[in-house]
Amino acid sequence: MNLAHIHLLINHFPTIGTIIALGLFLVALVSKSSDLRLASLVLFFLISLITLPTYMSGNAAEEMLRGRTGVSFAAIEAHRNAAQLAVVFMELTGVISWFGLWKFRRQSSFGRGTLPAVLLLSIVTLGVVGYAANLGGGIRHPEIEDSDAKKIPGAKKVLVVPEQRVVVKELEVGGISDFVTDHKWMWPAFQTLHLMGLSLIMGVVLLIDMRMLGVAKNVSFRAVHRLLPWGVLGFSVNALTGMLFFAARSAQYTTNAVFQWKMALVILAGINALYFTMLDDAWTLKAGGDASLAAKAMASLALCLWVAILFCGRMLPFLGGAF
Amino acid sequence: MDFLNTLEHNAFSQWVTNSPSAWAFPTFLFLHTTGMSIVAGGSAIIDLVLLGTWPSLPVKPLVRLYPVIWVGFWMNAITGTVMLCADATAKLSSPDFYLKMVFVFSGVYVLHAMRKTVFADPQLDKGPVPRSAKMWALASLFCWFAAITAGRLLAYVGPNKGAIGG
Repeated sequence: MNLAHIHLLINHFPTIGTIIALGLFLVALVSKSSDLRLASLVLFFLISLITLPTYMSGNAAEEMLRGRTGVSFAAIEAHRNAAQLAVVFMELTGVISWFGLWKFRRQSSFGRGTLPAVLLLSIVTLGVVGYAANLGGGIRHPEIEDSDAKKIPGAKKVLVVPEQRVVVKELEVGGISDFVTDHKWMWPAFQTLHLMGLSLIMGVVLLIDMRMLGVAKNVSFRAVHRLLPWGVLGFSVNALTGMLFFAARSAQYTTNAVFQWKMALVILAGINALYFTMLDDAWTLKAGGDASLAAKAMASLALCLWVAILFCGRMLPFLGGAF
Repeated sequence: MDFLNTLEHNAFSQWVTNSPSAWAFPTFLFLHTTGMSIVAGGSAIIDLVLLGTWPSLPVKPLVRLYPVIWVGFWMNAITGTVMLCADATAKLSSPDFYLKMVFVFSGVYVLHAMRKTVFADPQLDKGPVPRSAKMWALASLFCWFAAITAGRLLAYVGPNKGAIGG
């Protein structure tokens, strides 16, 4: 089991998963069932979380294929560029889905434009993901190469020989990577935004923890819940800036164990966020009430997860051998 | 300059800078980042609530965030001083460092002022948030986000840029 293998396994989630989620969502829209609609939004949100390691393991797979013969690097590049676009739409779908879950918790309705937005975004996402997946299949599936490989824009069956490793280095340059590395101020600017995003997340987590662990008891959780979108905003800014860092310099992240831990913890933290967004346990906590043990545990877990994520991020240059 | 050299070359500062151990400079940097997130995040929550117009979210209970914010502040004062001593000659000749200190102390002042004016107001939560409170909230957001920016740029500007772990 290596990262390339993991990529081949989990890439089924953004592809097949989105088909299933969209199917369920269409049934939910027609049947007007709130439960089915909630379930579909949860599915979209979870799939958007797992899309992140899917993309990153794809980069690792690319690095592992360097030096191999019989692989078209133009095909890999085409697949990667399409995947970058797919990630953007997938994450947008995930964020809007989260917003729908949040709104429904508060008002028992999804808000006026939310479901149409999710419908539109998920259909576009499916299209782009499907295109990216098809290109991915063209990388090394000799059984289908005659029909599909020729359709890959600019692809030739390039044999990768050692001298061509120099060309391979350029794969990181182009598109987003160029954009980031061409302007020296971009990297520090994105890092600063990343720090602001994490501060927002930490602020919301501190507030939730305070309330759950018994401080400021005269606040209902409903009031605290009102601030969750700020945490999600922080998370979105960090996901975006994080993907920019990754796209610009993937080599220093993909095989970095500390970074892999960070991504695993981020997924767990995203699932933890669903607990506070949706479940009755936290929602029913009134002003003056005591939080349940489960709620206290989840709140403490949130704090531990986010501090650990911060630790992993800050330690990337020191522990992971990156940079 | 002699004094600064002494600060930089004492045994502890040398250990912080030169030790390959993750417990040296990296740990101080990690604690500093954590303290930053507590201070900037905690005060951002208070500021965003003041700036928003949500009647359902009372402002007064948020005063309980203050002790946590001060813990974060002192974590950073201590770790910051250690890291400053370890690189005293470079930092103290960097305009960006002084700029950061201006924003940090302004942020502390604004937090104090908010405690004394906004949170001490007997009309708090009994009516709409007064404009002066919103001005304080904006000032606080500005100071802490400016401090973060100036701090992050320390690795990129001034003497010794790019020295340790950008």
